[in-house]
Amino acid sequence: MSLNRVKAIWWRHAYDLKHNVGRLFDTFYWPALDIVLWGMTSVYFQQKAATADIVLVLLSGLVFWQVIWRSQYEVTVNLLEELWSHNLVNVLATPLTIYEWVVAVICLGFIRMFFAIGFGLALVYWLYGVNILQVGWMMVPFVALLLMSGWYIGLVAAGVILRFGMRIEVIAWSGVSLLAPFSAIYYPVSTLPEWGQRIAAWVPASYVFEGMRVVLSRGQIDQAMLLKSLGLTVIYLVLGLGFFWLMYQQRRKLGVSSLE
Amino acid sequence: MLRKKSRKPDRIGRMPSKIVLEVNNLTKVFDGGFSFRKMKRNEPTLAVYKVSFKIHEGEIVGLLGPNGAGKTTTIQMLLGTTAETAGTIKYFGKNVKKNRPELMQQVNYSSAYAKLPWLTVFENLMVFAKLYQVEKPEERIEMLLSEFGMSEYKHKIANALSAGQLTRVLLAKAFINFPRILLLDEPTASLDPDIADSVRKFLLKQQQKYGVAMLFTSHNMAEVAEVCDRVIFLRKGKIVAEDTPDGLAKTVKNCTLRLWVGDGLKRLKAFAQGRGYPVKVSGREAEVVIKEDEVAAFLNKLARHNIKYSKISIDKPTLEDYFIAQSGRENES
Repeated sequence: MSLNRVKAIWWRHAYDLKHNVGRLFDTFYWPALDIVLWGMTSVYFQQKAATADIVLVLLSGLVFWQVIWRSQYEVTVNLLEELWSHNLVNVLATPLTIYEWVVAVICLGFIRMFFAIGFGLALVYWLYGVNILQVGWMMVPFVALLLMSGWYIGLVAAGVILRFGMRIEVIAWSGVSLLAPFSAIYYPVSTLPEWGQRIAAWVPASYVFEGMRVVLSRGQIDQAMLLKSLGLTVIYLVLGLGFFWLMYQQRRKLGVSSLE
Repeated sequence: MLRKKSRKPDRIGRMPSKIVLEVNNLTKVFDGGFSFRKMKRNEPTLAVYKVSFKIHEGEIVGLLGPNGAGKTTTIQMLLGTTAETAGTIKYFGKNVKKNRPELMQQVNYSSAYAKLPWLTVFENLMVFAKLYQVEKPEERIEMLLSEFGMSEYKHKIANALSAGQLTRVLLAKAFINFPRILLLDEPTASLDPDIADSVRKFLLKQQQKYGVAMLFTSHNMAEVAEVCDRVIFLRKGKIVAEDTPDGLAKTVKNCTLRLWVGDGLKRLKAFAQGRGYPVKVSGREAEVVIKEDEVAAFLNKLARHNIKYSKISIDKPTLEDYFIAQSGRENES
């Protein structure tokens, strides 16, 4: 066994670390995220341990978070798939417009999201006997808002990938998670520290998950929350589209082929 | 052998035809971007500068130049995947900026450097057939796969193909929409000579049968000379010459004179070197690089010096010589 050859492999990965921001990001980002997310959930549990619907709240949060995650993932990973297969120039050299591409991946995300959510709901029912659908149609506007949230996050992440290339592809998996602690998925916004609550006020998903908990506990929709979330989501979606368009034009200046 | 038809009086059997591509003052400057290490902006790079040319229906134009001359950048701008800094691009008389989807319907592209997703050959071609809204796509795919000798690979995953096979699939993709103009970036790179030859024949057939125009980059000068009606030579992003392949070759004044010398080989070497002609001797064969119009005088002088040779051949300058001469100029500058 040669220590020099072992060292050569260390060097190979040390050089990689220098160029691959994603690796460095992974080292700190995911542990920090888990600590914040599950720490806050634990604090909430401690305060509300006797709440009967805690399982329903937790599992519905888990399932509906998939709506955001899946819809943003489809946008970013579909772009990455073209880059991984060196096919983006082939595709963009056709009559296809960038808007058509966006519509295609968004629709694809919509369809796949239904399968993912359907599977999640069925699994939750089968494993834990919890029927999240018991709240009925009242969930529809919330799901629609989460879906749109996934789109604008996906568009921003895809825009960043288009501009900076695959060295930043980690954003496809981690971008949306950055919003998770402030989205009040498993705990109310009030559990967050004050600075966190200020951020959560600008995150549309926080109103959605808060609103869902109201639906689950009281069986009614908090219209104010729904409207706040809708207003913010529409603004972010327009900004997300604008950002994506801007990044695409930036990439064209640099040359799409230089991405591959 | 399928031969290209001369452009001058009647290219591909027609009178002077429509312009399918018109490029005016096309310029590309790549912004150097900001360097955090140097804490200043990097110098911008001039990749293409005021390039103008036209391509007629059924014309095959070679875009040549050394590495970094701006060939691929030009093609990428023509495809719209790289934004031009200045200049206009018109296909079929219409500005591509305003009519892109309509115009790109009649344009296609292939590059030896492109790849395809992890789908079968058929699935990949079907996706492109749908993107171009080709009618009866199955029939078209079958026909193209057969033309390129790829029918047996129809259900093979594209990534599992050899470089040559993938190039042929990419060429099939390039023809899927019955294009009126094709942008081909080194279409025969990585192909075996026999396959490259059949591809060239296919390209010429498409030109003659359907009047497909092509803009063609290649590092194979013999291929360019065989296929192209006209050649545009780029150096450092600028057009430095535009002519037929023969016309460009003729601008190279030097030719290679080969002599099989019986008596006086040493004298010949000294004589040629004394007059500044590069000379190479191998066995009884002497190779002298000399200006074409000085050959007769040179041979006269050899006779006067009683230098006898049994065989003689003159290699006229080729497009490759022109390329080398131009590349040499780039290295000097």
